[in-house]
Amino acid sequence: MIQTAFKLRKTLVPDEIDRELLQILQDDFPMVSRPWKEVGDKLNISEDEVIARLKRLREDGVIQKVGPVLDSSKIGLTATTLVAMKIPESRVDTVSRIINQYSNVSHNYLRDHEYNLWFTMTASDNEELSALLNEITEKTGVAQDDILNLPTLQRFKIDVRFQLAQTAQGERNFGRS
Amino acid sequence: MNAILDEVDRAFLSEIEDGIPLVREPFRDIARRLGITPEEVLSRLMKLHESGVVRRFGVLIKPNNVGLPVNALVAWKVPENRVQEIGTFLSTFKEVTHCYSRKTIPGKWEYNLYIVLHAQERGIIEQLTRKFSEATAVNDYLILYSTKELKKTSITINTASASRISTNQHKPFKS
Repeated sequence: MIQTAFKLRKTLVPDEIDRELLQILQDDFPMVSRPWKEVGDKLNISEDEVIARLKRLREDGVIQKVGPVLDSSKIGLTATTLVAMKIPESRVDTVSRIINQYSNVSHNYLRDHEYNLWFTMTASDNEELSALLNEITEKTGVAQDDILNLPTLQRFKIDVRFQLAQTAQGERNFGRS
Repeated sequence: MNAILDEVDRAFLSEIEDGIPLVREPFRDIARRLGITPEEVLSRLMKLHESGVVRRFGVLIKPNNVGLPVNALVAWKVPENRVQEIGTFLSTFKEVTHCYSRKTIPGKWEYNLYIVLHAQERGIIEQLTRKFSEATAVNDYLILYSTKELKKTSITINTASASRISTNQHKPFKS
C-alpha cells in the first residue's frame, strides 16, 4: 500500500514507433489472422514486439482496447439524447452513481456550467428513452426544471480518431496552421 | 444492407466487446470459444464492418494520454435553415469528433448544434471555436469544458439486448 502511494507517476511518452503503430491500428486495422505480424512487417519490428508494445500501451492507459465500435442505430438503438442536469456539488457522486448504472448511458461528464452534469443515453425508441429519463429523474430526485433533455435530430459526424504520427491528412485543419 | 444479426454474430460481438486478446492469432482464441473456424470469425467481422454494424474496428485511444487532455462540448445557436450547411462544414475538421443537431427547449435552451473538440489546451479550443464562428458568422455559442470524466464506455450488443425491443424485430436499416 505504502509503496503504491509513493510510486512515481509514470510519464507517458509513446515513442515514434508507438505512434506509428497506433496510427495504423486506429485507421487501417488489418483484418487477417495475424494482424500484429502484418503491422510489424510495415514497421520493421517483430510480431512479438508489436504485442509487447500494445500490452505496455494498454497498461499505461493509452489504449482503451483493440476492438469494435458499434453503430448503435444498426443494432436497434435508434433513439439517442444528451441530458444536462443542475446538481449541487455535494450530490454529484450520488447522482452520477445512479445514472452510470444504466448501460444505456455511455458517456457522463462534469462540465463547468450551471448545468454541470452532462450524459448521453441510447435506447430502442423515444418512448423507451423518456421512460428511462423519468426513472432516472425519480431515482435521483432532480427537479424537472433542473434538467435539459436534448434528443438527437441528426448525426452529422462521429469519428473519434486522433492524429498521432506524421502522415498525410486529408481533412481540413486550421487549428494548427 | 441487411443489419439483422444471427446468434453467432451476437455471441461474437459480445466476446470481443472489451477487445481482442493480444496474442499472435487473436481470432483463433475467439473462434475456439465460439465453436467456429478462425476464417469464419474473420469473414463475419468483415461482413459486420461492411454492413456498418461495426462502425470501426481497431485501436481505441484515450485522448488524455496522448497529449489531448482537454475536451469541450461546444453548443451553437444556428438559424434553423443553416443547420444542414453548418453541421456539414464543422464535420470536415478532424478536431471535431462529434457533430449533432438536437431539439431545443424554446425559451429555456435554444442551442441546436453541438460539436465535441479535443485539444492540448483550452487556448486551442478557444482559437478553433473563434475561427468556426468567424467562418460561419454564428456568434452565439457556449464552450462547455469537461472537468471530470464520470463514465465513458461504448454501446455494446448487450445494451441492445437489454432494451425492450429486440433487434430481430427491427427492420433492416438502409445503409
